[in-house]
Amino acid sequence: MNLWKKFVLVALLLVLAIPLTVSFAQDTSGNTLIGAFDVGPGGAPAVIPYMDTAGRTWLSKIWSPLVSWNGDISVLEPQLATDWSSNEDFTVWTFNLREGVLWHDGEPFTADDVVFSLNLAMNPEAATSFPGFSQLSRDTVAEVRAVDDLTVEFVLTQANPRLPYNLILLWILPEHALADLAPADYQNSDWFFTEAIGTGPFMHEEFQRDQFWSLVANPNYWRGAPKLDRLINRYFADETSAILALEAGEIQFTYASGDVALGFEGNADYQLFSGPSGVTNYMIFNERDPRFADVRVRQAFLYAIDRQAIVETVLRGTAQVVPCIGAFPAMYPAAEELNDYAYNPEMARQLLAEAGFDASQPIEVVTYYDSQFHSDALAAIQAFLADVGVTITPIRQDVPTYNSYFYTGEGWTISYRGVASGLANFPFPFYEVGGQPTTDGLPLSGGEYPELIDLLAQARVEGDQDAYVGLIQDTCAFQNQNATEGYMWTAIRFGVASSGLQDFYWFPAPGGGPFEDHPELWSVSE
Amino acid sequence: MQKYIFRRLLIGIPVFLSITIIIFGLIEIAPGDITDYFIRPELNMTNEAEEAIRARFGLDQPVTVRYVNWLVNVLRGDLGFRYTNGQPVAATIGQRLSATVLLAGTALIVGSVIGVALGVFTALRQYSVWDFLLTSVSFLGISIPSFVAGIIVLYIFAIKLGWFPSGGMRPVDRDPTLLTTIQYLVLPTFVLSLAPIANFMRYTRFAMLEVIRADYVRTARGKGMPENRITWRHGFPNALLPVITLFGLSLPALVVGAVFTETIFSWPGMGTLYLEAVNGRDVPLLMGMNLVIALVVLVANLVTDLAYAVADPRIRYD
Repeated sequence: MNLWKKFVLVALLLVLAIPLTVSFAQDTSGNTLIGAFDVGPGGAPAVIPYMDTAGRTWLSKIWSPLVSWNGDISVLEPQLATDWSSNEDFTVWTFNLREGVLWHDGEPFTADDVVFSLNLAMNPEAATSFPGFSQLSRDTVAEVRAVDDLTVEFVLTQANPRLPYNLILLWILPEHALADLAPADYQNSDWFFTEAIGTGPFMHEEFQRDQFWSLVANPNYWRGAPKLDRLINRYFADETSAILALEAGEIQFTYASGDVALGFEGNADYQLFSGPSGVTNYMIFNERDPRFADVRVRQAFLYAIDRQAIVETVLRGTAQVVPCIGAFPAMYPAAEELNDYAYNPEMARQLLAEAGFDASQPIEVVTYYDSQFHSDALAAIQAFLADVGVTITPIRQDVPTYNSYFYTGEGWTISYRGVASGLANFPFPFYEVGGQPTTDGLPLSGGEYPELIDLLAQARVEGDQDAYVGLIQDTCAFQNQNATEGYMWTAIRFGVASSGLQDFYWFPAPGGGPFEDHPELWSVSE
Repeated sequence: MQKYIFRRLLIGIPVFLSITIIIFGLIEIAPGDITDYFIRPELNMTNEAEEAIRARFGLDQPVTVRYVNWLVNVLRGDLGFRYTNGQPVAATIGQRLSATVLLAGTALIVGSVIGVALGVFTALRQYSVWDFLLTSVSFLGISIPSFVAGIIVLYIFAIKLGWFPSGGMRPVDRDPTLLTTIQYLVLPTFVLSLAPIANFMRYTRFAMLEVIRADYVRTARGKGMPENRITWRHGFPNALLPVITLFGLSLPALVVGAVFTETIFSWPGMGTLYLEAVNGRDVPLLMGMNLVIALVVLVANLVTDLAYAVADPRIRYD
């Protein structure tokens, strides 16, 4: 055998010997669950409280808020607070806290921790995302004080009947561990990844940036010690890599986009979790362009697009058509109050002709979405509009580029986008004058609808839940009849888990929740 | 030689400064900033919150002030903190760089050793079946995109055969060992070394074919020198110059990272970090990374030039 053949043979033997020398399979004995909890739209790897734009499914394993969403994000679920009440005009709220809760280091949780946490979260030196997302800032909260060890009081500068919903994002942090940390150093602190202390079901064990974060069971968790010994969040650069790891048996859970998830349907080795994204996808027409100030043009766009056909065929049933900005049926009025805008290209052409719509110029439709779901949807929209003589060109931009000009109200004609819209997190500011600031002071679309603004102003301060729901439904009817925007659908999002997981639960809450998933009950079967 | 090195390093300083100014300027004129990163289009963000973010990161100051502040801090050895997650830039780059150097370095070594060996092998057998076969395969190696090769090898070796892990850099549930590190390295290294193997093979083959037809090789053969000695003592060293050039050009790739390969294999390297930095408009991280990349390119060029002198006694820098 000559030198070349020896060289090739030895190299081949060495490579082939590697898999035999050591097992790489994850050790799932001892009840360890490894998941890709930060893959997908609700995920954000290695974020910390008050900096979290998403990733809250994972954060809730270490830290807890006073209240969270329930399992299907329809109502609130008590967490560190047991109950709450307000004065008559909703300017003072009192929260009673759970007794006997311990921090991971054994120190008792008290009202002082809540006061410390809210003051930190509202401090612009420390937090970047909390004030914007929660609508709680030093302008809206006059004071937060500990009445006693287990009672905390929030004094507001203006009425807020839905304060408990705003507090969902307030992760409670331990004052005794963080009091000495200067607010300006908060974001740069390594504490969260080296010695984090929370009240959640799992305790920090090891964090390897961009690779994984592992936790161990908290034996003192107030709902009882978790059945799992360890919970590990593995980070992936994209969904495909996570799916491959799931198929290889290296992880037991990941988010999956609709077309991928449907491939697992009926496979006994996997269990599928799904739910509404809570995000409505719609086309916002810039009414600063006179063509779109005409209601007939906006309605024509809706008649021209067969939304139901797109949902059933292109999106393979992974979305539901919506009549207005609301993402949930509870937000819709009776069907007779709504126009279903059933596919009618003849009507679309007629309305466009009546409005004298100039279709000679192609219209750019800007979006920040880059998923296959939205690419397919936009391609279908493009085809339907072309059929009635309207040429659109979808333009995809990254989020910072999109944000850099979209909110000025200039530089775009139509945008295909989404907004989180539930009963408890209705996107009021998107429709209020000055709510989501634009350079000309008009609402985002540039369209002024006094009746809509009046309905929203009433809903803002309505404390009675039934009356509030009625106002949101009236809003829906107005939006629908006036086609204030081109309402399309709300996506159904999916998670795929190994069938070996017992009592596991996941829901595609916007930003990852936090929602109640009872991780203390999860286990891995042998 | 020392004078030459000193002169090159001195010239590097203004080049270095120019690079930082150009990059800072490019980031400045790119649309969007860190505030736009923190705005989720699907959620509301108040004007006050946006202003607070802008002020926190000093974006309310003129661009010249921000650049000078950054430069002064760099000269003090402080690359600052990431906008997006507040982590120190130097530590982040150090961590990612070591992962990329491990992967890309292994791929470069594998690529150069196998590529050069195959180059010599095919040159000595010009127009043989082996020559045609390996040359064809090398074209495949150059033209197949890494994301295609990556998915194929993952499907076969990780999912179907289960021989190697599907991604990551180490096991997540136990401490890594040398053997587990090798296991996690095999597939991404294989994918990443396909192009270098093909490139080194083609360069070496071409250079060797030139050399083995030279007069001094014919003379050596005429004097009855053994074929192996002619190849390795007289042929190969003289064919090394273009290979050294290729090696030098490949060095910056060690720090730039391989975006597709790192993404497919969830390898926490510089390529994916660069994408994160651009997507997040993370100026301190972008500047820090570009600083390191510029430094490596300058040093790699210098090292390549010096290697010429070692490989070819006719080249002198005095």
